[in-house]
Amino acid sequence: MSAPARTLAVELEAVTDPVTAIVLERASGRRWMLAFVASVVLTALLGSGIWVLLVRGVGIWGIEIPVAWGFAIADYVWWIGIGMAGTFISAALYLTRQSWRNSLNRYAEAMTVFAVSVSGLFPILHLGRPWFFYWLAPYPNRMALWPQWRSSLLWDFFAITAYLLVSIVYFYVGLLPDLATVRDRARSRGRQVFYGLLALGWRGEARHWQRFETLSMVLAALAVPLVFSVHSMVALDFSEGLLPGWHTTLFPPFFVAGALFSGFAVVLVLGIPLRRYYGLTDLITEAHLDKLARLLLAVGLIVDYSYLSEVFFAFYGGDRYEIAMTLNRLGGAYAWLFWSTIACNVVSIQLLWFPRVRANHAALFTISLTVVVGMWFERFMLIVTSLYRGFLPSSWGMFYPTLWDLGFLFGSIGLFCLLFLAFVRLLPAVSMFELRKSAAQALERPR
Amino acid sequence: MEFLRAKLAGKQGTQFWRALEELLEQPQALQCLREAVPQAARLDPVLDRRSFLGLLGASLAFGGLAACSGPPPEQIVPWIRRPEGLSPSQPRFYATTLRVGDDVIGVLAATHEGRPTKLDGNPAHPASLGSTDAMTQAAILELWDPDRSQAPLRHDAIASWDEFLGQAAATARQFAQDGRGLRVLSGRIDSPTLAAQRQEFLQRYPGARWHQYEPVDDDAAQQGTAFVFGKPLCTRHRFDQAQVIVSLEADFLATMPGHVRAARDFAVKRSPTGVPPTMNRLYVMEQTLSLTGANADHRWPMRAAQIAAFVEALAAQIGVPSTRPPAADIAGGLDSAQLRRLKALAQDLQDHRGTSLVLAGAAQPPTVHALAILMNEALTNVGRTVEYFESPEPRESSTDSLRTLAESMGSGMVDTLWILDANPVYTAPVDLLFEERLAKVRNTVHVGLFRDETAARCTWHLPRAHSLESWSDLRTYDGSVSLVQPVIAPLYDVRSLHEIVAFLLGSSRADGREIVRSTWRGQGGLDEEAAWQGALREGVIRNSAPAAFEIHTEPRALPTEQRPGAQGSLDLLFQPDPTVWDGRYANNGWLQELPKPVTQLTWTNAAWVGPALAARFQLHDGDIITVRSQGRSLEAPIWIVPGQAADTLVLPLGYGRRAAGHVGERLGFDAYGLRTSASPWQAVCSIAATGRHVELATTQAHHVIQTGEPLRAGTLLQFRQNPAFMQAAEGAPASLYPERAGGEYRWGMSIDLNSCIGCSACTLACQAENNIPVVGAREVQRGRELHWIRVDRYFRGSPEMPTVHHQPVPCMHCGHAPCELVCPVGATVHDSEGLNVQVYNRCIGTRFCSNNCPYKVRRFNFLQYADTSSPTAKAQRNPDVSVRSRGVMEKCTYCIQRIEEAHIVADRQMRRIADGEVVTACQAVCPAKAITFGDTADPATAVSRQKASPRNYRMLEELNTRPQTSYLGSLRNPHPALQDET
Repeated sequence: MSAPARTLAVELEAVTDPVTAIVLERASGRRWMLAFVASVVLTALLGSGIWVLLVRGVGIWGIEIPVAWGFAIADYVWWIGIGMAGTFISAALYLTRQSWRNSLNRYAEAMTVFAVSVSGLFPILHLGRPWFFYWLAPYPNRMALWPQWRSSLLWDFFAITAYLLVSIVYFYVGLLPDLATVRDRARSRGRQVFYGLLALGWRGEARHWQRFETLSMVLAALAVPLVFSVHSMVALDFSEGLLPGWHTTLFPPFFVAGALFSGFAVVLVLGIPLRRYYGLTDLITEAHLDKLARLLLAVGLIVDYSYLSEVFFAFYGGDRYEIAMTLNRLGGAYAWLFWSTIACNVVSIQLLWFPRVRANHAALFTISLTVVVGMWFERFMLIVTSLYRGFLPSSWGMFYPTLWDLGFLFGSIGLFCLLFLAFVRLLPAVSMFELRKSAAQALERPR
Repeated sequence: MEFLRAKLAGKQGTQFWRALEELLEQPQALQCLREAVPQAARLDPVLDRRSFLGLLGASLAFGGLAACSGPPPEQIVPWIRRPEGLSPSQPRFYATTLRVGDDVIGVLAATHEGRPTKLDGNPAHPASLGSTDAMTQAAILELWDPDRSQAPLRHDAIASWDEFLGQAAATARQFAQDGRGLRVLSGRIDSPTLAAQRQEFLQRYPGARWHQYEPVDDDAAQQGTAFVFGKPLCTRHRFDQAQVIVSLEADFLATMPGHVRAARDFAVKRSPTGVPPTMNRLYVMEQTLSLTGANADHRWPMRAAQIAAFVEALAAQIGVPSTRPPAADIAGGLDSAQLRRLKALAQDLQDHRGTSLVLAGAAQPPTVHALAILMNEALTNVGRTVEYFESPEPRESSTDSLRTLAESMGSGMVDTLWILDANPVYTAPVDLLFEERLAKVRNTVHVGLFRDETAARCTWHLPRAHSLESWSDLRTYDGSVSLVQPVIAPLYDVRSLHEIVAFLLGSSRADGREIVRSTWRGQGGLDEEAAWQGALREGVIRNSAPAAFEIHTEPRALPTEQRPGAQGSLDLLFQPDPTVWDGRYANNGWLQELPKPVTQLTWTNAAWVGPALAARFQLHDGDIITVRSQGRSLEAPIWIVPGQAADTLVLPLGYGRRAAGHVGERLGFDAYGLRTSASPWQAVCSIAATGRHVELATTQAHHVIQTGEPLRAGTLLQFRQNPAFMQAAEGAPASLYPERAGGEYRWGMSIDLNSCIGCSACTLACQAENNIPVVGAREVQRGRELHWIRVDRYFRGSPEMPTVHHQPVPCMHCGHAPCELVCPVGATVHDSEGLNVQVYNRCIGTRFCSNNCPYKVRRFNFLQYADTSSPTAKAQRNPDVSVRSRGVMEKCTYCIQRIEEAHIVADRQMRRIADGEVVTACQAVCPAKAITFGDTADPATAVSRQKASPRNYRMLEELNTRPQTSYLGSLRNPHPALQDET
């Protein structure tokens, strides 16, 4: 088979065809259907869980005194951390002109929006009276009541809200040129209308492009600091407390690193099957996976360093409660949690030093999945090991999850998968216009 | 059936995923049950009660507002004009008396618009002095219990009182001749009126008999006094006069009659005052850890036989004349450590002649009681620290009396049996076969508050009026009599015990008030109406206590006794449960959920096992064992009790109720199944592990404090050398925040750990005052109990012989409260008077405040715990305290409603709130007066003086929370020669 001439048209078609085909031409396929049904079932589980929760109260979970936060908060921190990598890839790498990110940013951003949306459910549902969550907002009311500004929970509420809004806008704006492409290629009337409406009348005029570029730049510049603020605020939810294990200034950078870590892992977990089943190997290449793996290793090492310094500073600081808590974390009732975290987040990623492992997709997928699980363990460990043995031995207690705790965790995974599966079928999963631009630039560049 | 099976299976396995059971408790499960096994569903007591309530609900709904169906004994006329001084918002207090457990306590019942809502101790009553215990606090819930019997039942069908009157008249006619075949069984008679009625009964029916049976008897004490004095006598101890106390398993701080007063007197002598500071000294020899033992300066766990041997040796040492072999031989059975103790103790007693006290517990054999009496006499304590008096009411040996009755029943000599306020089908010793023999009695009448096990097997069940609904009189531990007056008209169609006995005596219209009044005509100086009214108002009949008995003792040979405890077998000790007593309070949710002082268990009993025994059988808390004793056996989960003698097994009574009401049934195991009339307290047994395990609902695990001392303790000697020895080297760290609270007052609390005996009355008083709901065993297992003030218990030293400390922990009301900082909506804030207030309406339930509370005093409504539907639950509540909904955090408020009330009164009189005007519920109830509350801004107040003590410290001070609740460290006063033991 003779390779087609490397003309501009061919190069552009090589980008546009496979991507639009996923949305417009390909049948769903059995695998997609199976995944979709499984996700719907899990989402229904989440929905029924929410119903029971609203009717009966948060007592359906295993939380108690002293462990008043449990799975819900762990799930929340985990999901919001996962969301972070998407913004980092699309915005931070955009600002630093890393054009290789063009293949990844679309689905990574979708992951961000979905993960942040799912995570946003938890802080609301975990409230004793979730229907009053809006009392966190400083809205004018007859009693002239304001929220309590010293609480990090309040700032966390603002941070999540801002982050979610900016992420959605950034995601949508970035979709516009590609939505227009899909609209133009759609043959059925329904799709033409659907994508036409979504594309907001994008016609590819120079004026459009000029405004688009400016807006993208502005949004990217907004999104990057938000990434850091959100995760710092999430960290402050803990470090504002005076509990041993929580009350540390290390937490904000530690949480940012942890968020990137789990986020890159999920990008890999989603990307590897995506490129395989939808034939996008030319767009999301081996080189991309290799770069992601290196990033995963790099932020993983930062996280590992944080683990080490947490333990070190507990002893270096000499506070007896910190020392007791650390010893407890390493050897107490939840030691299995700590050592699982170490196995998943420290030991497993060391394999990524080897180029052969990074080139092996199955290994890469497994390691990424291990990291995702490990990060959930870490979130849960941080919460429970500080709470279950506080300052007074008389008030020590254990946390035992209920089936509903697991239901909410797996239900939220189901909801995320459902959203992502719908995204793959409805929206272009790879940023076509940016790849076309890269391709054109590559052609023009003198050899 | 699947559901049932699954549910039963779920009950036995280890409970890790507890949601399974929770699912099964839901209405669907009950629906399935109803469809699958309709008979079972009908038997389900919950449903039964519901439907029963449905039928009777209308009369019940406004019961509290005195629209009741029972015949009001007096005329009730509505007020046209409000009487002066009566405002609907102000509670009214009535002095009355309650029999609680084995004790009689005078109380002041607070009523809000006619509804009794709270009981406080009557300061004029000798057994109370203003305080009560936990069981008394819970009596108010018993009054409002929807499971109470509400109408007479014949063969379990609702009947009328008129029908019963016909029956009673027939009985009177039938036995008009001589009364042979007619028997009455009651509990111990401590009411002069009931005693008079008994007298009348015996005169009218000479051939009849009146038996008394009390499961928690004092037979041994009676026999002990009978041995020494020739007739059974009652004993009153004066702990305020005793400098050295030797308790031979006498739990005088928690279960003995008069224990509330004893705690007060004990605490007074415990306070390290004077120059140099002095304290009393308490030695306890016991088989298992009791609350008294937990407060001892020296506590020596011993087997039953060892206690008896030790006491004999001790008696010989201090010169009690003995007909036994010489003392040296007896002491020969003791090892060197015990000889050392014996010597020190004997010397200490000799040094405190006239100010020492030796007393023995109910489970000790009569010889030990006799020796205690003889020792007190040898030490010239009689008349100083101990007095004896003859009970004006007839006393008889509880088990003997019941045995006689059971045997008569068995031989068909009993035709008609009236059981007055007793539950022998459940509580009788198992070898008497009471239930079986009861079936042979033709005509049985049961009178009681509940349709219990006995009621279900009697021809007639008559609902008795609650003590708060009826007239009576009761004699307390020291012999004083106080009156019982109704504080509310009966909620249901019930009669008082005296009225029902009057039916038996042939009266058809009985007036409870008139019966009691007539008892006191011609005695007690109550003939004048004014004197009667005065006694009612005061709650006590003055000078009603019998005079002390003149001592005549002559040495006699002590009866030799079969001592249990042969090598290779275990001692089995029965004891009343600290909260549900002999089982009579099983349906009381407050008492069920109150952590039992020694074990911290709730909602169940367990076989107590010492650490050594547990290690020998490799048992862990909750492992089920089989206990075999005298050919009978039962299965029970174990609980390891530090400080219990190695070869002793303790079985608390009061659980395993089969018919108690919807709260109290099917909890724990029934220890009466091993109890025999030959030896009701002490037996021998063997145990075997079954390999099965259940999870028991406890609020605190065993933790030995290692470092970091939330609780500070030391010895009197250390205190004498350096009064400030408990003070931490550095105080609270500096803070960037300003000291807040610019108000007129600055409320604070001081808790004296040296006085606190750990009885948990504060927990229950707080529950009654602050409308704190009960959450149930499953929720307690999850750590969701709601008590606002808990009593932390810490062990020090070896598990075999630990030192025990108690520490009540309410909210600390921190000056720099960590909870306030983290609440995003400002639902917990500081007020100008230093209170950390919780705004329920604003709370959205993030629970960050609880996470951030280093004292873990915040409590969360994880589910809808407060019962907002039962009418009686509503009627019981304190109208001054909000009922919290689910999803809301709550915690100790320092009884802010009482502070506000004091504010209003003071403001109207244009003055400051005086010291002592605000008394929190926990402070009011505390038998030991360990809690002081008041304005800490004024250095002259009692609380400020307490906080100025060198023993004052603030818990977790290093966290810079600046708590307003502080503690006075605990002191122990070990014998100088035995210092190394502690």
